[in-house]
Amino acid sequence: MELFDTATVLARVLTTGVVMSIEKSDRELPGLERLLTKQTGRARAVLVNSRTAAVHAALAGQGIGHGDTIALSEPDAATGRFLDWLGVGVEEQGRAAYDYVSLDSANADRLGELTRTATAPALVVDLTGLGFGPAAAVLTDDDAVWARAERLKIFGAYDLRTMWTQEEADASLVPGVQFNYRLSPLVAACVRMALTQAARPATPTGARS
Amino acid sequence: MITDFPATPLPLPDPAELDSELAALGGGAMIPKAARRTLFPVITKEDVFNLMLAQRQAPEKVVADFAEAYRSYVGAAHALPTASGTSSLHMALVGAGVRPGDEVIVPAFTFIATAQAVVAAHAIPVFVDIDPVTYCMDPQAAAAAITDRTRALMPVHVHGLPADVSALRALADRHGIALVEDASHAHSAKVGEQVAGSLGDAAGQSLMADKNFPLGGEGGIAFFATEESYDRARAYLERHAIDYGMSWVAAAFGASQLKRLPYYDEIRARNAALLGEALHGTGLFTPPHVPDGHVHAYNMYRITLHPEAVGLGDIPVFAVKEAVHELLVAEGVPAREWQNTPIPCHLPFQHRDGFGNGYPFTLNPGAVRDHRPEDFPVTLGMLDSTLVLCRELRSPVEYERILRYADAFRKVARRPDAIRKLVETRDYRRPYDKAARLG
Repeated sequence: MELFDTATVLARVLTTGVVMSIEKSDRELPGLERLLTKQTGRARAVLVNSRTAAVHAALAGQGIGHGDTIALSEPDAATGRFLDWLGVGVEEQGRAAYDYVSLDSANADRLGELTRTATAPALVVDLTGLGFGPAAAVLTDDDAVWARAERLKIFGAYDLRTMWTQEEADASLVPGVQFNYRLSPLVAACVRMALTQAARPATPTGARS
Repeated sequence: MITDFPATPLPLPDPAELDSELAALGGGAMIPKAARRTLFPVITKEDVFNLMLAQRQAPEKVVADFAEAYRSYVGAAHALPTASGTSSLHMALVGAGVRPGDEVIVPAFTFIATAQAVVAAHAIPVFVDIDPVTYCMDPQAAAAAITDRTRALMPVHVHGLPADVSALRALADRHGIALVEDASHAHSAKVGEQVAGSLGDAAGQSLMADKNFPLGGEGGIAFFATEESYDRARAYLERHAIDYGMSWVAAAFGASQLKRLPYYDEIRARNAALLGEALHGTGLFTPPHVPDGHVHAYNMYRITLHPEAVGLGDIPVFAVKEAVHELLVAEGVPAREWQNTPIPCHLPFQHRDGFGNGYPFTLNPGAVRDHRPEDFPVTLGMLDSTLVLCRELRSPVEYERILRYADAFRKVARRPDAIRKLVETRDYRRPYDKAARLG
């Protein structure tokens, strides 16, 4: 990715003063959510701070937890170890619990194409390969999957003004264990820029030739 | 351009405003609406430039350099940078030797992440009450909760005041268990010359952008006293393939913030002292207590109300607090409750689904309690009688702003009649009778 573009994006976000994910006035996380839902054709996006967080959120969103078994074709060894830590068993037959795509600079312009044939209830998109640190997203068309996955994150879909309260929760949404899987707005802004620039060639320099 | 630069300067305080009508009753507000935004974190050209430079370095080096610089500042033996405070606490517990089904004693008053980190380690949080003066874990309550399955004590340096580490250290040593700090509020806090994060066998600390020492978004760091515990935590991450990695973007921002942390700490301490002096003069309010030899970091500033001092002793303190809260907010001082019920009364610890199907609570059913708020009377007493300033003291606010905050407390304390009238016209509920809030 062009350093000039990254520098511009970082400076822009820092100038706003909003670098915390639970600020109501943050615009970077919703911006990346909108871009991902548009490019994948899914209705909802859950942003998280790593690939494993996204796998966890994809499962928690479907109510899958410790002691359950999922179908997943040929999971890699690392995913197998992580699922074992979650207490989730794996079998290779059946409808996959989630589909998985990993993006990097070579395929960042093909997110829509790469996910077009995905049919699982949740789509895990690993954004770490774009170069801004661990980052990922879960995409889904199911509002309940989205709501439960958000609740896995401490604060989830809520912010400093609309903090989650017991009155707002319905029984099916009560979280169990929660992690701070929240993505940083600065990282989200860079990821959004990378995906946008991948769709149209980046300007190599700020100077006109 | 969207910028955080203040739109309007705050006028210097005017003594006449102290005697003017309360804002809630139609008078002018001590902090005008146009000047209420409190900037935090403070972002400077050094932060921007540091991020520019970081783009040209290997990401791993940016994160490692940051972690080493902060480890050195804290004085801990080993540091593991993580994606969040919760993950840092998880790693601190694992490094300290906590295993599935173990019991970890935590205070009932803290942020929910303290207890969720215990569950993340597949262990069971055992909740105990707090000290009535410091609001940190009560060592006697902790001692009473120890069983043969207890593996660690995890006190929280609440709001930035170190817990009673010497008593808890002695207790841990007596039982052969670990002392793990939750130092998430306590950047630069000290006991003597020792910095929070280096006081226990291990520590976890949030570095999210709303903490005294902010990274560029989300982040955390775990500290370890021994190489063995550090290696244990790293091996755990590898064995379970968990990605708790810190982004270089967050780390680069923190590297330049770290250089300015002592400056901001000094401003916070100055502002806390200035406000404390003003509160002592009101009768109605007292500032946080700081034991001798402790340095408070003032991530939050919890103020205690004394209704009897202004002739309101016949009214329940929680009702006085609610009325005062309303009056202060109208004056432009965004005081908060910051927690309104003990953590074990939040839904995740009432339902206890954990990772699913009750795990890990099912590993040790004997450690599990169906708690009610009344199980923690000291916590309830604190929730009834205190209000909190957060960013207003955390941010190195301008001198005129801290003076105006002080005047707002003076102005409200001078009007017990208005407080009484508000209580009579409202139907205030005790904090823990309302829906639990995360902060």
